Amino acid sequence: MSAVLSAAGFPEAEVRRRARLGAAAAFPDLSVYGTGLVGAQPAGPDLGDPLERTRIVPPVFMPERLEKLIELAREPLYTDVELDTVIGGFASRLPLYVSAFGSTQVASRDLGEAAGAQAGRLGIPMVIGENVVPVNGYRGASEAEVSSMAGRITAYTEAAAASGNEEYGGVVVQQSTEDADAEVWNLLYSDPVSQPLLDAGKLAFELKVGQGAKPGLGGLTVLDREAAGRVAEQYATQEVFGAGDRVLRLSSPGTFTEEILRQQIRLMRNNFPRVRVWVKLHPGRDVAHAAATAWASGADAVTVDGAEAGTAWAPSGFLAQVGLPLGECLTRIGRTGRCLLASGRVWEGTRAVKALALGARAVGLGRAALLAVDEDGDAGLLRLAESMALELRMLISAVGKYRVDALSAEDLLLPADVRPPLAHVLH
Amino acid sequence: MTVLTAESAGPATLQAPPPLPASLDAHLTAAETRATLRVQNRMLTAVRAFLAGQGFQELLPPLIGPVTDPGIRGSKQVDVDFYGHKYKLMTSAILYKQATLAAFDKIFYIAPNVRLEPLETAVTHRHLAEFHQIDVEIRDARREDAMALAEALVSHTVAEVLRDMPAELELLGRDEDALREAVTSAFGRTSHEQATAGLVELGHPQDPGAEIDWRGEEILSAGSRRPFFVVDYPKGSRGFYDREDTQRPGVLRNFDLIAPEGYGELASGSEREHDYATLVTRMRETGENPAKYGWYLDLARRGIPASSGFGIGLERFTRYVTGRTAVWQASAYPKLPGVVSA
Repeated sequence: MSAVLSAAGFPEAEVRRRARLGAAAAFPDLSVYGTGLVGAQPAGPDLGDPLERTRIVPPVFMPERLEKLIELAREPLYTDVELDTVIGGFASRLPLYVSAFGSTQVASRDLGEAAGAQAGRLGIPMVIGENVVPVNGYRGASEAEVSSMAGRITAYTEAAAASGNEEYGGVVVQQSTEDADAEVWNLLYSDPVSQPLLDAGKLAFELKVGQGAKPGLGGLTVLDREAAGRVAEQYATQEVFGAGDRVLRLSSPGTFTEEILRQQIRLMRNNFPRVRVWVKLHPGRDVAHAAATAWASGADAVTVDGAEAGTAWAPSGFLAQVGLPLGECLTRIGRTGRCLLASGRVWEGTRAVKALALGARAVGLGRAALLAVDEDGDAGLLRLAESMALELRMLISAVGKYRVDALSAEDLLLPADVRPPLAHVLH
Repeated sequence: MTVLTAESAGPATLQAPPPLPASLDAHLTAAETRATLRVQNRMLTAVRAFLAGQGFQELLPPLIGPVTDPGIRGSKQVDVDFYGHKYKLMTSAILYKQATLAAFDKIFYIAPNVRLEPLETAVTHRHLAEFHQIDVEIRDARREDAMALAEALVSHTVAEVLRDMPAELELLGRDEDALREAVTSAFGRTSHEQATAGLVELGHPQDPGAEIDWRGEEILSAGSRRPFFVVDYPKGSRGFYDREDTQRPGVLRNFDLIAPEGYGELASGSEREHDYATLVTRMRETGENPAKYGWYLDLARRGIPASSGFGIGLERFTRYVTGRTAVWQASAYPKLPGVVSA
């Protein structure tokens, strides 16, 4: 697969290197081994991002390592760390999932299906973005150039079955306010294609309340005039690019109040009793209140998408200046015992470990997954995940723990200006 | 109300539904089908006469529209390409019923509806993808008025069939005494909260915040000897047009009518929401995009009359009266969810 994507401001070269090299990419280039001095990072951390300024701090005394030593009757190694977990009701081999890519050009058929197949092989959940059905179609018969919903699901389930992952992973399908018109969930729920997933308990629906790249704003994509005409009944457009062929297609983010969110989740559970319910929140200042509301209403997972997140196209000002960073979201939500999922600029192990230690059950790979499958459509995401799994095992064992869910805030040194996460008891 | 376990359920509680017949003509010409459809015809005559006698206006129902009733759990609407615009086949004509009350105070349709139900409903014995409703709406009525009318209508119709169609009922092996007993006393009444608690007590895992599931409904139905109402469903289990109780937030002024002997739900109804701002808010609470309800919301801004109403599933009602095993046996041209047929 040719490399066609670019991701300015994202460590694209590093992700592509991982997609090529796998676990070896967790280390400096072997050519400098024994000769180079490798202490400093090539690029410094983003000082506005509390997660980047947080350090992982191993202790000296490790009672949990002693427990593992007793269990094994030998000194534990980092390879003894268990990474399997339960993500939003799905067993997963790694504390990772593939975040949604929407209908924007970067998630074309090849990338969407390639990501699906590799996620299936990994035994991790995959989220399919909102508006894939209204824009790209469900079965894809008439829209040859883009990835259909059914194509992505089939690629995922076939790869999972071929890899012995029948018991792992799951497919999560988003719907937002405006694609309610396309009845994506109703369509899937009543379609024979979905029955194997439903029977296996491996289908979830994700209510998209917002996204990290554009907090408070709905979807924005650029369409040519002909495509805009096709979706004119569903979406508004605006002329912002002059007289050329391109127009801006804009969506409403949908109106939410505490009661609206509560009732939408309850209705999802009522109407689709055989699926898991996920809720994706943008990094709003009341994210803790919203997450608590979602869990109390019966959500199986709440995804918080930090302001660093997003594969989608967004106004530059929003990307730079709007929304809470992921680390701030996590500390505001605190440790709750509920399934919290975190996404936003995650592509390597340290950021993942920090998010997990702050209370996330798993982390989402969005841009990183896209770049990895763009680098290698057969194994790029597999290698990226392999490199992250290696780092996760090393880091978790370094803090003296051997299960991914044993991580906690004590394993981190937070910047002085960041409040430590509160422990909440949610009812 | 006595609630029994599934094991003590009545004749309608079956695990495996009978398969569709090999061909449509075999179904149509079967003596049982013909008897069932003759009873259904008598039922329709009785319904029309009864409602006409109460001053109701019958209208012919709409088949398609830019929107239809979204309040159907899990099912998919059928899209129709209407000169380049996406229209829907009616899942129910509730929105049109409300609109019509500007012209007539008491209306009803015998309305065809299409719902692409989830595949799991193919084995409930009481779901069809294409079916008909006796669809009633009464201006300025309260929920209790609609319930009283539904009870009188069902009792009257059953009594007419018992009087006029004994040969058909005998051919079908219907227990006429059970049917007669069911409609000679007042229907029972329970709340969703009570029904849920009863099911949980029996070990059935009923979610108190959701619609009573198919199995739970069957258990409740099997434990009763006469039809009964379940009232006060929680918000989050029904569509935006079921009115919320102003005195009890989160509780809807609605009802289901459940047949006895395991036959399950016959009808759903409610007092309707008609306030514009409340409708828009409730649409959001049910995950709807208000923009697509343009004509309806324009009407609501100008004023929709207060009302209550209900829809009785005609094939379900026929199945109950005739004692058939599955609801498809009460349809001349049955369409089961997910099953390709004539």
